Order: sequence, then C-alpha cells, then structure tokens
Amino acid sequence: MMSHEYSPNPAPESAKKPVGLRQLNLGLALAISFSGFIIPGLGHILLGRWVRGAIIAVAIGLMFLIGISMQGELYNSDLSQTPLRLFGFFADIGVGLMYWLAEHSKLGTGNMSARTYDYGTTYLWVCGLLNYLANMDAFDIARGRKP
Amino acid sequence: MNLSHFEALVVFAVFVSMVFGLITKTTPREQFRYAVVVFCSFLGVAIVVGWLMFPLPW
Repeated sequence: MMSHEYSPNPAPESAKKPVGLRQLNLGLALAISFSGFIIPGLGHILLGRWVRGAIIAVAIGLMFLIGISMQGELYNSDLSQTPLRLFGFFADIGVGLMYWLAEHSKLGTGNMSARTYDYGTTYLWVCGLLNYLANMDAFDIARGRKP
Repeated sequence: MNLSHFEALVVFAVFVSMVFGLITKTTPREQFRYAVVVFCSFLGVAIVVGWLMFPLPW
C-alpha cells in the first residue's frame, strides 16, 4: 500500500530560501540600489554590509580620484559631434554624485597631451562600470537572491 | 599623478580585482582568493600580451 503524504499548504517559495536571507520588497530594493548609484557603497551599507560597502566606496572613490589626477577625461552629454561618446558618458555617470561634483568643479576636462590621459580616462570609465555592478549586487542582496 | 604604464596597470588591477572578489563571492576567504586570482590574471595577461606584441613592427 502506497502512502502519499498530502500537504494542503505547500511551503511558499520564499520559505525555501536558506536561513539568513531576507527579501525586501521591489521598491525598497530599487531604492537601496539607487542610493548606491548616487554614493558608491551606500547600498551595501544600508543593507548592513558595512565592510563590503566601505571597501567598494574606497576602491571606486580612489579610482575616480586617481583617474582625475591622471588628467583623464569625463565625457559629458554633448553628443552632437561624436555620438559614440555616449558609451563613455554612460560609463562615467556610473559613479553618480562624484561625476556631478567633478563636472561642476571643472575637473575631468582631460589633457590629451598628458602621458597618462588614456589611463586616467579608462580609470574613470571603469570605476563607473564597477559601481553599476556593485549596485546590482546590492539589489540581489536586498531581494534575497544572495547572502 | 604621473604613474608609469606598469604602475597604472598594477593599481588598476588592485581595485578591479578587489571589487570583483567582493561582488562575486560570498565568504571572505573565497573573496580574497578570487581577488588574488583576478589580480594575477590581469598582470600575467598584460605581460604575456606585451611580450607577444614586442616583435611587431607596427
């Protein structure tokens, strides 16, 4: 005789997650992720990941400062002459508030004759792109997809 | 700041490998090991590709 145990109330999907993973609602997760976009590392800090957030903030902040001091160029939204600069602009604005502060301080104008111009510009692109990745990580943590 | 090409490469690799390690792995040990692997990969690939390009005349 076969015995099947019938559960009238199967466990919801969220109950199958490993212990310790908390799931915030979509709006809150997006808000936390967006805060990390404005200030790198803030999303992780708001989630209680102090060390991770601090390291991300220091790494991205230093990369940005080094890129500026190497006379790298911050691309602006004026795409009339070279539309492909859109990609550089997208990468640059990834650092959020720091981009806005640098633009308003007339930093990041770039000096093409400097030996470090290319490296500096690449630093500025990559720190913005890293911040996008860090914010996706914060979003995944907030939604309970990863510990 | 006037870093040489190699110094700029090393600093770049340090920061990128740190962030990659942090966001791709979960435990501190895994994060550290992955960051070291990524850092060494950056340096190794750059040196190998640099030597491969060395004999090229253009």
